[in-house]
Amino acid sequence: MENNEFKNRSPKEVSKQIRKENFKRNWLLFKQSKLGMTGLVIIAFFLFLAILQPILFATGIWSRGVYDPVVGYDSQKVDLLVVECPKEYPTEKYETNQDCPAKDEINIRVLLLRPDVKVGDTYEAFLQPAPPSSKHILGTDSLGRDVFSQIMEGSQVAFLLGLLSATLGVGISTLLGTIAAYFGGRVDAYLMRQSDLVLMLPSLPLLFIISAFAELKVWHLAIVLGVIGGLGGSVITIKSQALQVKVKPFVDSARITGGSKLKIMFSHVLPNVAPLALLFMVFSVTGAIASESVLSFLGLLNIDMSWGLMIYLSQTDGYIFSGLRYWWLILPAGLSVTLLAGGFYLVGRGLDDVFNPRLRKR
Amino acid sequence: MAIYILKRTYQLIIVFLLFLVLSYLLFNAIPGNAFQSLLLNPDLPKEAYQRVLETYGLDKPLFERLQLYIINFFKGDFGYSYNYYPKTPIDLIAERLPRTLMLFALVNVVSFYTGFIVGKILAWRRGSKSETWITITSVFSYTVFYPWFALLMLYFFGYKLGWLPIGKFIYPEKWYDAPFDSDVVFITMIKFTVVATFIQFLAFIFTRNIESLTNRKTARLVSFVLLLLGSYFYWGSGSALEQRTYAADIAYHMILPVFTVTIVAFAGTALLTRTTMMEVLKDDYILTARAKGLSQKRIRDRHAARTALLPVVTSFIFTIITIIDGSVLTETIFSWPGMGQLILQSVTQEDIPVAMATFSFVGILALVAHFLADISYAYLDPRIRIKSQG
Amino acid sequence: MPKEILKVENLNMHYETLTGNVDAVKDISFTVLEGQSFGLVGESGCGKTSVAMSLLQLQADNAKITSGSIKLDGVELVGMSESELRTVRWDGISIVFQGAMNAWNPVIKIGEQIREAIREHYPKKSKSENTKKISELFNMVGLDESIMDRYPHELSGGMKQRAIIALALSCDPKVIIADEPTTALDVVIQDQILNEIKKVQDLLGLSLIYISHDIAVIAEMTDQMAVMYAGRIVELGPTDEVFKNPKHSYTKALLESTPSVVGEKVKLKSLEGEPPSLIDKQSGCAFAPRCPNKNETCNPTVDMELIEISPDYFVDACNASNS
Repeated sequence: MENNEFKNRSPKEVSKQIRKENFKRNWLLFKQSKLGMTGLVIIAFFLFLAILQPILFATGIWSRGVYDPVVGYDSQKVDLLVVECPKEYPTEKYETNQDCPAKDEINIRVLLLRPDVKVGDTYEAFLQPAPPSSKHILGTDSLGRDVFSQIMEGSQVAFLLGLLSATLGVGISTLLGTIAAYFGGRVDAYLMRQSDLVLMLPSLPLLFIISAFAELKVWHLAIVLGVIGGLGGSVITIKSQALQVKVKPFVDSARITGGSKLKIMFSHVLPNVAPLALLFMVFSVTGAIASESVLSFLGLLNIDMSWGLMIYLSQTDGYIFSGLRYWWLILPAGLSVTLLAGGFYLVGRGLDDVFNPRLRKR
Repeated sequence: MAIYILKRTYQLIIVFLLFLVLSYLLFNAIPGNAFQSLLLNPDLPKEAYQRVLETYGLDKPLFERLQLYIINFFKGDFGYSYNYYPKTPIDLIAERLPRTLMLFALVNVVSFYTGFIVGKILAWRRGSKSETWITITSVFSYTVFYPWFALLMLYFFGYKLGWLPIGKFIYPEKWYDAPFDSDVVFITMIKFTVVATFIQFLAFIFTRNIESLTNRKTARLVSFVLLLLGSYFYWGSGSALEQRTYAADIAYHMILPVFTVTIVAFAGTALLTRTTMMEVLKDDYILTARAKGLSQKRIRDRHAARTALLPVVTSFIFTIITIIDGSVLTETIFSWPGMGQLILQSVTQEDIPVAMATFSFVGILALVAHFLADISYAYLDPRIRIKSQG
Repeated sequence: MPKEILKVENLNMHYETLTGNVDAVKDISFTVLEGQSFGLVGESGCGKTSVAMSLLQLQADNAKITSGSIKLDGVELVGMSESELRTVRWDGISIVFQGAMNAWNPVIKIGEQIREAIREHYPKKSKSENTKKISELFNMVGLDESIMDRYPHELSGGMKQRAIIALALSCDPKVIIADEPTTALDVVIQDQILNEIKKVQDLLGLSLIYISHDIAVIAEMTDQMAVMYAGRIVELGPTDEVFKNPKHSYTKALLESTPSVVGEKVKLKSLEGEPPSLIDKQSGCAFAPRCPNKNETCNPTVDMELIEISPDYFVDACNASNS
């Protein structure tokens, strides 16, 4: 039956057809995996956020001056009641004079520039950080910048960094792993020892050193993370996979029909390692997003805005220990890192179900 | 075989040498040096600064210093710390290592054990609703942004509820008139933990051959109770009695970091176990086991989990490499003065001898872990055991 | 008349796959008597193993028994709970699997794997009793006792298969299913294993279900046999009679494609075409496209159906008149 279908067609068309059907089948399998689909939905959500921000700016719905994640400024105006704090503590309301003024009140002593103000007057003030309102969905930070816009900017950074470093890293490790498996001998020994060497270096301190002698921007960090990841342990895993492919009959038959070493490597071995490489890539996006956030969190990166930086700022400003009173400074950024990294991980799980028949249910 | 081992050893030495050279060059690539802050002091003459550099040999050209360092390294001389002058890097490591080991050995064992059990259950309940939910929870505990999570835990348990101490590994006021150093107590605790784990392990091995399942269970329970009694007597007598209150103080400070790191770390093992176990469940001998009428629990624990353990154990041993690496963040957040903080300090303050020593320590640890992974694999898989004998 | 030990009636089973349901077992009925050996023969993929797995209720997760009944000694197995089934498995029905290589857990000793089965069904027996039982079984299948303390990978394929037979016998089951037990072995070992099975069966008076694609082995091993095609039984009867006078064209074709050592030389005929894919549901006679004896009386749009033409002899209705 199948033979008839492919009759009278050029080999190119046939292989195109087969590829299309394979893709369809894989997609069906992927759709079966609840975890994979959950991950895909999460990624789609953040991708939407990342794309939405420039659109909002371009269409003028958001003005740069107010909503720019780095230099924008806006904060809520509130009316505060002017009170005079008692001289002796503790009182009914306050234990020390640091506690005074409390919410919606302002200490008369603070208003030295306005000597005409009396106790009981209301005073207009700018509230920073401002809680969420219709204008700022997730409120503003301590500098009056819109948190939601920062989250969007952060997701752009995360996608750029995660995908770039993962592609670079997996590209390097796939190439090296295949070369090690295919050529063996000295090349193999050299490459394996090289990844041993990279594995021996403690990664976080290493990134510290690198950030100390080079100002790291998003691009630089992506390349550094990609190279370190690409030279490390994944070369070993890819190599063992490529070794399994190398002994398959179709590689032998390609050799017998006179294919050159390079051609066999690129057209027969590499494509069969690709699924595993794709899997690695998805998983290493998770790692890259986490690394960036940790470095930003430690204040080592020269980045204008990122999720890690947001948490860093909320920590250095002391909001993280204020409990949930300033939740919009603490929760959204941390959750975003966790969710997006988790989303990529879940997609990896789903792909694992597709490529590894032993994990499949049926 | 002998030739293979020789060749491998030779390669290892080369790799280690390269590792030393690379690390040394990296540290020296950081602009400035450890004593630059002296220049900021206007009362200090320039010559004094120059003399300090000469004392530490920092005025010599880079290549000469590298050569000297490597030669001295193999003589067992690691120099002196720049910042803690009379102390050598070895002194510092000896002081910090027990603290990190105690904390992370415990974390690793606890998280490995819980992870393995959770993973086993996940694979077994495949397709059920609870599986999906537990998996999603573990994925998010695996990918949670760790510093953020740790800070929230600190806030919640340490600050809001006030149950557990915030940071630090001891209450200094308690130790004010202590007759001994905290390190002594740490070492006693490590010794105790190692011996207790070993005894429990032995009990497990020896009861494995008891034929009746109920007898086996009782025997294991009895051995566990005996172990508890034994530890009660240990801490109630001799030198351990004096250290007891101090050990309790350290243990109290350990609860929060152990708990936090375990939540983050168990998920990795759980997810890996789930995958390997699911592969194993497709094997034919699982079908045989089912055909034999064995109980689900027995098939899961004895037939599937035992084989699935192999790759999980290997990955567990590889996490030993990342102990020190991972401790950097944890120790910074929980102000736990261990190896992680030492590495961080030495790198940021350019205390090159200490940084080099800690880096080489991590490197050697990585090499040992590789070795251990091979050995344990051979122990757990009889197929390999036979081959290596023959 | 010996007791009916296993009675299968109108068993239907399918696998649910992404691309649709695969009907692997269609309307199968047969009976195995006490002490009798029953053969099941057919091409690869005709549903033999699916039948074996349904008997033990060990089918894959995506397999569903839609209707029919399986009675072991009068007890219904279809719809039994997992814990009830556990007591039936190995104690009531045991199985010798296709690939002995993979049927042993590689990290547990052979003896322990057998002991484990006995322990599950007879928990009161002592360790020495179990060891004695296993060494008896090993003697019976021609293995040395020392094999008990070996790991599976230390044994040759033949030894593993013998040990599997010992394993299958360990709980004194009423019925043993042998699912192509000799496929992976060389001819000499194959013969030894077959003899071993036969000897043990005679010795213990067991009922045996022997599954194979090799009709010659079935002839040697069984009293009663059934021929399967595309998930259905097309011919069922005493082995001697089926061989002497096959009724169904598929049975004839199977016999003609097997060389015979005795008798005159005949050219072997092979059957044209391939067995139908079970996933495309076609109504009508599944064998019609390949049937060499299509004639006017035969109606390819009618489903296959077994009818009894003489006592205990059933054949597909279409071919019943060929006799």
